Amino acid sequence: MALTAAPGATRRPGRPTPSPQPTPARRAGRGRRVRDNLTGHTFLVGALVCFAVFSWYPMVRGVVMSFQRTRRGETTWVGWDNYARIIADPSFWTAWKNTFVFTGLALVLGYAVPFLVAILLNELRHATGYLRVLVYLPVMLPPASALFLFKFYAYDPSGAGLFNAVLTALGLPTSEWMQSPTMTMPAMVLASTWMNMGGAVLIYLAALQNVPGELYEAAELDGAGLWRRIVHVTVPQTRLILALLAMLQIVATMQLFIEPLILANGAGTQDSATSVAYLIYQHGFFQNDLNGAAALGVIMLVVLAGFSAVYLRLTARQD
Amino acid sequence: MAADPTTRTLIAPAQLRRGRGRILYWTVLTVVVVVFTLVFLGPLYWMVTGALKSGQEIAQTPPSLFPHDPQPGNYVDAWTNLDLAKLLFNTFYYATGAVLFQLVFDTAAAYALSKLRPVLGGLILAMMLATLMIPAMVLIVPQYVTVIDLPVVHLNLLDSPFAIWLPLVANAFNIFLLKRFFDSIPDDLMAAAVVDGASPLRTLWSIVLPMSRPILGVVAIFAVTAVWKDFLWPKLVMPSPETRTVSVGIYAFAGGTPMNVVIAASVIAAIPTVVLFLIFQRNIMSGLTTGGLKG
Amino acid sequence: MSVPQYRKAAALTLAAGLGLSLAACSTKSDDSSDAGGKVTITVDCQPVGAQKELLKNWNDDVAAFQQQNPDIVVKSVSVGEQCNNPPDFTARLAGGTVTDVFYGYMTDLTQVLDSGQAMDITDYATRDTIPTWDSVDPALKEVFTDGGKLYGVPVKNYSMGLIYNKALFQRAGLDPATPPKTWPEVRAAAKKISALGGGIAGYSEYSAGNTGGWHFTALLYSQGGQVLTADGKKADVNNPAGRQVLQNLRDMRHGDDSMGSRQLLQWGDLLTNAGAGKVGMFIGAPDATQAIVTQFQGRYQDWAMGPLPGQDGPATATLGGGEGYFFKKGLSPEQVRAGLKWIAFQKLTPGKGQFDYVRAKPQNYPVGLPQPLLFAAGSDAQKQELDLRKANANVDTANFAAFEANPVPIKGEPRNAQAIYAVLDAAMSGVLTNPNANIDALLTTAEGKINQLLAADS
Repeated sequence: MALTAAPGATRRPGRPTPSPQPTPARRAGRGRRVRDNLTGHTFLVGALVCFAVFSWYPMVRGVVMSFQRTRRGETTWVGWDNYARIIADPSFWTAWKNTFVFTGLALVLGYAVPFLVAILLNELRHATGYLRVLVYLPVMLPPASALFLFKFYAYDPSGAGLFNAVLTALGLPTSEWMQSPTMTMPAMVLASTWMNMGGAVLIYLAALQNVPGELYEAAELDGAGLWRRIVHVTVPQTRLILALLAMLQIVATMQLFIEPLILANGAGTQDSATSVAYLIYQHGFFQNDLNGAAALGVIMLVVLAGFSAVYLRLTARQD
Repeated sequence: MAADPTTRTLIAPAQLRRGRGRILYWTVLTVVVVVFTLVFLGPLYWMVTGALKSGQEIAQTPPSLFPHDPQPGNYVDAWTNLDLAKLLFNTFYYATGAVLFQLVFDTAAAYALSKLRPVLGGLILAMMLATLMIPAMVLIVPQYVTVIDLPVVHLNLLDSPFAIWLPLVANAFNIFLLKRFFDSIPDDLMAAAVVDGASPLRTLWSIVLPMSRPILGVVAIFAVTAVWKDFLWPKLVMPSPETRTVSVGIYAFAGGTPMNVVIAASVIAAIPTVVLFLIFQRNIMSGLTTGGLKG
Repeated sequence: MSVPQYRKAAALTLAAGLGLSLAACSTKSDDSSDAGGKVTITVDCQPVGAQKELLKNWNDDVAAFQQQNPDIVVKSVSVGEQCNNPPDFTARLAGGTVTDVFYGYMTDLTQVLDSGQAMDITDYATRDTIPTWDSVDPALKEVFTDGGKLYGVPVKNYSMGLIYNKALFQRAGLDPATPPKTWPEVRAAAKKISALGGGIAGYSEYSAGNTGGWHFTALLYSQGGQVLTADGKKADVNNPAGRQVLQNLRDMRHGDDSMGSRQLLQWGDLLTNAGAGKVGMFIGAPDATQAIVTQFQGRYQDWAMGPLPGQDGPATATLGGGEGYFFKKGLSPEQVRAGLKWIAFQKLTPGKGQFDYVRAKPQNYPVGLPQPLLFAAGSDAQKQELDLRKANANVDTANFAAFEANPVPIKGEPRNAQAIYAVLDAAMSGVLTNPNANIDALLTTAEGKINQLLAADS
């Protein structure tokens, strides 16, 4: 309780600095450093154990598993067999293509749209609470529910579907949505954006409120129009959060799974919905091939590592 | 906050109050309100009314705007057959646990990395951050076999909530957020406490945490959202019908149930969260706004 | 709080956490026998709460069985609406969380063996444990046998035929008593039924979630084809029989537009439509009608069944399949015997358990379906079962007369069935959703994928 008075007091920094201590204090200093380290690690231990057991160890385990095969309860080393089998799967390249298409489309739609919506909402002075709640509402639905909503009502391929009814009313051609190989991906991105964008919008809104108004004023005085103010003030001022969300978004969309599982009952029309994540699931839990699934996981890890290397390179250059 | 005239955004407030700007502003506002209502509330209306339609009516072309012959029985079926109360309880239970575990362990870790800086702290942080780029899907198989048979202790965590709670603690994004926030707290503030003989735990509890409420709120929101949105992991580690989450339960249920009943179940499942959200929306919004997510 | 105190607290927290998780795990640890010398077995596939009558029947059976066998305790576990949903089943096998006695499909033997969870029960499955064992169809025992060792007990067996909606037949001016016997007749009937309009599909078919491949296999059998060559080493789908299967579907779907516009259906989707009266015909086992009524809001009196059609005459063969119970490795001999006795009581005794037709008659479950065909033709148990079934029938057995009177040779599912079905789903979805699908290309792709699967597996 003695601590309550502390904020006003200014005394010398209490944390031991790594600089050499005067000789008499040396012993005590070392003992104290050991003790401080111990305290530090004690605070770390919970998270550290969880990282070790559920993140770092599985990474190693995944690599090990990818070179093994378990049959009749016995595990043997099989070299690159699992990789050969996975890559030879005709769905392998389709799954990668689909995943990249989804990631790309999601970057255009799922990444840019929330930012623009946030800018728009930030300008409005009325009904702000209502609009924010609206945007966030789909996030509140269990993901399976939101997708069933799209599957059963919006994307019904017959005239009974909501989207087709609207298109018909507008005199536009209808679509078979998830049954059409060309519409499968856009339809999944649309559903995914609808149900997930609320979080991103709120984060952008938070970032936008921290953009100093003087910057806009200064830009306006320089004769910058609306668009140039967005490009030269808004974007640079929110760059860090934009970059962070871009990375999280890409990592998230690479895991495309529940959308094909529910909207397309898995693979969709001739693999048009198959994603890498779904393929991992299919191999691991439908085809009784956990080792092959682990190999595919390792391949995905390598691809993402390559991607993040490029990403770090690009962001480093910007700074 | 909305009408605060001092907040200058992209467009000057004065511009919006004058002649053409004013007309334009109100037009845009009306369009936005109408479009957003249609886009975000429309499907929910469709969901609530669709679940009242009969199988025949759902298949009708063009779809009907109102259910002609409402079947409230669909909602009753959904509630009783799916054991929704149990599913919702499970989900909230897992979410609460996830919040507690993440707050305790991740806060402690971030505090240690930010303020105590023990040896190898930098390396540990780097190794944690490296996992940011690794989606859960990559590790799903080895993580699953790990949970089945934990190394060293040989415990099987299937159907145990720890299978959801503990992996969520390994969340580098939270640790990153928390550490960044703690970094912004001046060391001087804590120095006094240390001189007074307060232990690091005491300092954390009495000085750091009270200042960190917004960021703790953000972490809590993220933890709840993660549990709420996750699908494959709970599907794998909670195989029993009694331990399922809402999303997994509805999916499992959908395989053997008419779709109007599935949709009815979805509506019921969404109600408690939406109500909770509406109650706490001000806190959630302000938490996200003030909580360290600065540009 | 000083540092050591903090660590103490942390240790306590950890201990409490572990204790909790231990408690959470202990529910499924196998405590084979308790102090009273009782044998405990866990059994899955208990009906879920929504299936009120079935659940009550099951629980009554457990009580009656335990009364008869005071030294046995049966602990029931429910694993969901579908007792074997392939990914969940795999997860349970890999996770070692299967019950002592666990449910599986006839096609699951390889997977169960691979997981290392299978128990050899050859020496235990005798007339002592299962009184009707000698009456059980030897072909079914063979399905659960590998290398001369028995690993499971069959509890259900079915074969597929053509299920059709009599009410829709009537409305379309077709004779509800004479189902189509060939695929061209099916096509003609489907055209008439779909002409009724209102989104009614004359004929409906699966193409997702592995069920498309499952039905492709049945359709292929009807054409005299087979999925794998006789030695089981190569795919045998890319041939005239396979082409005919897809051609028939394409003609109905895109030529006549008699299969409805909703495709990518799997089990529940098709039955939902059927329950809503939007499906004229589909292929399935007799108990599909039970699902339509009890789960999908349909009516028994609407549905009838004929034999599986062939191309120019009766089908060459039909797909048969079924279910059984496996035993988890490491059970004590007492547990295995207890498990076998329970299965004998609930699944293999005429007049008891699943054959308790007196009990089932007033319930909303059909008695009189030509199923489950567990006992060999002419055996005592078969006669008893048949007599009881006839005496207590609550569905019009005439609805299944055409199916029963024209038996089609039964062919089992291929090895590695689920993986192959996943491949064949693509051929089915291709032909059902794409009017310009190239049938040859679809079959060539499927053939390649299956061969690759088989090569990887050998």
